[in-house]
Amino acid sequence: MGRQVAIEAIAGAVSGNILYKGDYEHVNGVVASGLMSDVLVSEEEGILLVSNLSTPQVVRTADMVGAYAILITNGKMLSDDMKELAEELAITLLHTDMSMFDVCYKLGKILYER
Amino acid sequence: MLRALPIGTDKATTAVMEIILRLKIKDAMTTDLKTARKEDSLRFIQQLMKNSYVTGVPIVENERIVGIVTVNHIMNALDKGYIHEPAEKYMGRALVVLEDDMPLSFAITYFNKYSYHRFPVIDKEQHLVGILTSRDILTTLLQELNAEMEELEGKIDMKIAAERGCTLNVITKDFAVNKFDFENAGRASFELKKILKERKVSQKIIRRASVASYELEINLVIHSDGGRILFTVDDNKITIETMDNGPGIPDVSVVLEEGYSTANEWIRSLGFGAGMGLANTRRVSDEFDIVSEMGKGTTVLSVINMEDKNEDIAIG
Repeated sequence: MGRQVAIEAIAGAVSGNILYKGDYEHVNGVVASGLMSDVLVSEEEGILLVSNLSTPQVVRTADMVGAYAILITNGKMLSDDMKELAEELAITLLHTDMSMFDVCYKLGKILYER
Repeated sequence: MLRALPIGTDKATTAVMEIILRLKIKDAMTTDLKTARKEDSLRFIQQLMKNSYVTGVPIVENERIVGIVTVNHIMNALDKGYIHEPAEKYMGRALVVLEDDMPLSFAITYFNKYSYHRFPVIDKEQHLVGILTSRDILTTLLQELNAEMEELEGKIDMKIAAERGCTLNVITKDFAVNKFDFENAGRASFELKKILKERKVSQKIIRRASVASYELEINLVIHSDGGRILFTVDDNKITIETMDNGPGIPDVSVVLEEGYSTANEWIRSLGFGAGMGLANTRRVSDEFDIVSEMGKGTTVLSVINMEDKNEDIAIG
């Protein structure tokens, strides 16, 4: 994809909250999955990782692939462990009540229809 | 009753015996001596003990030891009211001394044989040159053991490195990984990533190494009964190795197929167990090997060269 999108714009599009601001203001693409192995196969750099899964391992996985931000969908509760780890690894953490499908639709619009 | 110090070939290992035989009493003794003369009053000696934190003061005449005054003597003096009298009449004269050239093992047997807390040390000319307490022995032994262990650890690192054929700037790191410990899964891989970042390894290589290491680490958490993950990084390559305690894989060729998984619903609900782990690891590795024995365990090896294989293709 290689298209820069501001994290603020993403938060706006999915009516999400930014729970923690990491090192970057933007992302270069999106990978959406509830399966961490799928994320690990991805090859884009500096992505937004969208997941309906809310575990510290999502943050670990994001770190391993050098993701800039994480968006947790479906209003899943975020544990303190997860927030702490995101802060430790300086990865932006977002949260939305929208479903994974709706999030992907909204993000698709920003990414592909500009 | 004091416990006997474990010394002697039947009680100590060869390595420990070697250390205490190699070390001489002069290597362990305190040479900063607090001494007094036999004309000095017991009160003076008491003050000396108090100010210099010692519990025994040798009484010296012409560089030779002629007696010793300990806390016991001082207590008796206070008790019986002769604290202002000279030391000569009351000091201990039944002296047990050690020679500075004797091995430390000899001194340890003395601590077993006698109930004294300290032994004056003399040289060949019978001059008082030091004093040896059990604290001195303890300090020296710990120092020596630390040095010995450091050397051994160094040898192990070198051996691992040599086995892998790497020589330059080697770092090895070893982590224990526990079964179902999702809380800590990824910590080892994070450490590897940190090492690679510090070494200014390229982003692409870091990513490949991170993916391989993380998949293997997660595999240990999900599928093994616990094990270890070992990293070796040198200037040429990154070696990631996992070793587990079982249960072993019945058919290794099957687990390498994408999508094959034995993970249960619970593991899948955590985002793992898609059957991609080993296939992913192999995909990002320049060298990959898996060996498994049922009932024993599985070892997986992943090597990632520091030069990007894609770049090689581009050049070739």
